[in-house]
Amino acid sequence: MKLIVFNGSPRGKGGNTKIFLEHFLNGFTTKEGNIHELAYLNRVKDQDGFLKLFQEAENVLLAFPLYCDAMPAMVKTFIESLEPLCGRKDNPDIGFVVQNGFPEAIHNRYVERYLKKLASRLGCRYVGTIIKGGGEGARMMPARYKKAFNIFYRLGQIYGETGQFDAELVRRLAKPEKFSKPVALLFKFLLKTRLFKFGWDRMLRENGAFERRLDKPYFA
Amino acid sequence: MTTHGNRGKRVKITVLNGNPDADNVQFDDYLINLSALLESSNHMVTVLQLREMDIRYCIGCFGCWIKTPGECSNAADGTRDVRREYINSDFVLFASPIIMGFTSALLKKAHDRLIPLLLPYLEADQWEAHHVARYDKYPLIGLLLEKGKDTDEEDIEIISDIYMRDAINFKTSFCFTKLTTDPVEEVVNEINSI
Repeated sequence: MKLIVFNGSPRGKGGNTKIFLEHFLNGFTTKEGNIHELAYLNRVKDQDGFLKLFQEAENVLLAFPLYCDAMPAMVKTFIESLEPLCGRKDNPDIGFVVQNGFPEAIHNRYVERYLKKLASRLGCRYVGTIIKGGGEGARMMPARYKKAFNIFYRLGQIYGETGQFDAELVRRLAKPEKFSKPVALLFKFLLKTRLFKFGWDRMLRENGAFERRLDKPYFA
Repeated sequence: MTTHGNRGKRVKITVLNGNPDADNVQFDDYLINLSALLESSNHMVTVLQLREMDIRYCIGCFGCWIKTPGECSNAADGTRDVRREYINSDFVLFASPIIMGFTSALLKKAHDRLIPLLLPYLEADQWEAHHVARYDKYPLIGLLLEKGKDTDEEDIEIISDIYMRDAINFKTSFCFTKLTTDPVEEVVNEINSI
């Protein structure tokens, strides 16, 4: 099975999406004969090449981080380039991976509905959408993501054998779907502590920008 | 008092025109009529023609949060005007033809670049994680959409729901979705009733 992967992260090879994909693809290629090709959508000048890749693909995975509750603009540009292929006979099967910074999966559910509709608009068989919340730290603190990486690996392995996303694994990866009220209250409390702000504040200090962290440059 | 129900409240409105196609004159004409009518209701209207502006993609560098707080550190492009108009408005209309079931990539480009208007820190809002406000006040938002050939009710619902979610992140309320097949007066009435 040959899989074409479109990585829609504006950070490209420097992003978290790439890390999750790596684990998925490691699982995918455990089956002999399975191969993949990666295209980075942040290389916006390659747009024509992306269309051609999609046109010739039998299996596509489109992965991206959530930007303002939807796909990043460069992913939308790619989707718009697919318009001439709508309803074409030989469109590939398509699956999606969406990850975001907030801990809960619910933030991604709205774009998930869009993606499902997109598959039907194109006339592609919809494999599903893999959702991972709390993904921002994968790059910086990979040790904390062991469990998630394992699930991505297993998802890739099963996909490589069956062409399907395992529903139970997808469900597990998406946890927590939402905060329960007690957890939300705890989260609220923790956010007030220095611990949670620390990462941002450390980076601000390193850049000599800490004192300006609350600036309102556009305040008229 | 005008015939459109304006009770004299003068509102600053910004329209983000996300029509990428200069040949789609109908869409732009709708906005010209809309802004004229809004101005005649005594509102201040700014229409930003995004396709004529230099608007680059957000590259997710976080510079606006950790290097130059509140300002994009990657590109000093036209989005400075977008952010300035946006945050100093009472109401922002996101206007776009529906392309492949969503608002245009052009509009999304500008939208992604609004992120400097928030702080990196998180808070629990409506029992969910969201970013903390950088400014004291954010504009209300609404949607104006032009149906495409293959647009159906579900598409409009999906787009509206995504913008409704976006409103939570941008510390505001989502007011309405209108279509360019609706009379301009209806959009004005919606804005007047805010």
